[in-house]
Amino acid sequence: MKFLKPVSILFYAIVALTFAGCRSKNGAEEPKKMAIVVSTLNNPWFVFLAERAQAKAKELGYESKVFDSQNNTALETDHFENAMASGYDAILFNPTDADGSIVNVKNATAAGVPVFCMDREVNSNEAATSQILSDSYSGCVSIARYFVETLNKKGKYVEILGMVGDNNTWNRSKGFHSVVDHYPGLKMVAQQSADFDRNKAMEVLESILQAQPDIDAVFCGNDAMAMGAYQALVAAGKADKVKVFGFDGAEDVVNSIKDGKIMATGMQFPEVMAQTAANFADEYFKGKRDFPKKMPVAVELVVKGNIENYAAYGKKE
Amino acid sequence: MKKMVRYGVFLLIVAFLAYNSVYFKKLDEVKAGTASFNAAKYAKEFWAKKLTPSLSKSAETGQLLSLLRTDKDKAFKDHANALGIGNIKYFLIKGTGKVTDVEENQVLFRLESGAEKPEMRIATEYVFGNAVRDASGTIDINEFSNSMDFNNVSAEINEIIRENVIPPFKSKVKKGDVIEFTGAIELNQEHLKLDNIEIIPISLKIRDL
Repeated sequence: MKFLKPVSILFYAIVALTFAGCRSKNGAEEPKKMAIVVSTLNNPWFVFLAERAQAKAKELGYESKVFDSQNNTALETDHFENAMASGYDAILFNPTDADGSIVNVKNATAAGVPVFCMDREVNSNEAATSQILSDSYSGCVSIARYFVETLNKKGKYVEILGMVGDNNTWNRSKGFHSVVDHYPGLKMVAQQSADFDRNKAMEVLESILQAQPDIDAVFCGNDAMAMGAYQALVAAGKADKVKVFGFDGAEDVVNSIKDGKIMATGMQFPEVMAQTAANFADEYFKGKRDFPKKMPVAVELVVKGNIENYAAYGKKE
Repeated sequence: MKKMVRYGVFLLIVAFLAYNSVYFKKLDEVKAGTASFNAAKYAKEFWAKKLTPSLSKSAETGQLLSLLRTDKDKAFKDHANALGIGNIKYFLIKGTGKVTDVEENQVLFRLESGAEKPEMRIATEYVFGNAVRDASGTIDINEFSNSMDFNNVSAEINEIIRENVIPPFKSKVKKGDVIEFTGAIELNQEHLKLDNIEIIPISLKIRDL
């Protein structure tokens, strides 16, 4: 009998440890976690997107952490691997590259981690669980129409593009050109990328102005670049003559439209996208699997005439 | 001699790797969307098989405007379509009206209706956007793997309007004509404005007097 005691203690210890292990793995007390992987935090628009996603995740009762990909697909891959290794249960994702990011999304979904794209798209309907995207094309169609009316169908203009690997860049450009190219009196004298970056846009326009000093307008693929372009025009003493158009609905551009410095922007709603992505992840955790592959979010034209309806990033006053 | 061969092989390998590591693409090629997708063909089929049959379900314009004033939420719920989230929604409408002016970019008319009789505009110049594609609610964005293809469908639908719907109308229409129309309109549910509504036409007919 005496020799059985240590054996039974060992047996009970193993059983206790097994149950303890099961509880910590499957138990309800361990909250699910969401990783928020964002293309860059060097642009206040994406900072707002990440903050809103984090706030919504918290409101829904989940832990979350923001990862900054710094517009680098390789770094984004590292973030995905880290997120999966660290046991994150869903990824709210703002990709760096429509094609280059597909593999990251596929790896995560293959590992059972759902991915919800926010604002930027990956070129695959099968990869992400759902993609919640701004309807950039339609937003830029509205901007372009205002552009044509404001310039009275004639003049020289410059287009500053975002990142060439991002679908939003081309959706915006194509939406814009689907209108403007119908007017032969409107001549595009330069088209260059400034990677959605304010400083780069300033440099790009400064250099274009050397060769093309008599332009009438600048269309920029986002508001950061619109502000950079405006700075270049101020420095060149042309800010009163050249009309600047942006896209995003960022705070400084909304204020600049009020002041008459920028003509128009397309108001995106990052909060709506971030909240929808977090809600979808929550529904996924609760068992839902049938999500729309793409969910466009309408973009609204903001001009001086309707500025009272809008605040930065589509927030309500 | 052996050394020369070794250097030669080494240089060839380096050249091969360098050539295959970098490639150049024209910006136009990047813009093009999926090469295999024919947006013009899709738009033509959409027009014939989905949009035209949907026109019978268009809302009578005067009644819709009255409902928008009295019960906005019901009007949007019952008659509007949109492919995603947001304030912008599209309606398919029909009606008749009397032309009050023919301008460079639009035709103005007074709506004939038992309900509202506002002045409205038919776009004859700025035929752009997704109103016609999305108003019938018969197109599914998830059929398209690339949103550029989906957007190209809109551009091609608008091209059909620009080429087939507007020219025969614009060449004949004059002040005082009574017209019958079907078309699509875009309204902002949050910031609703019911004056000066612009219609993107789908069909236009001048009534014989």
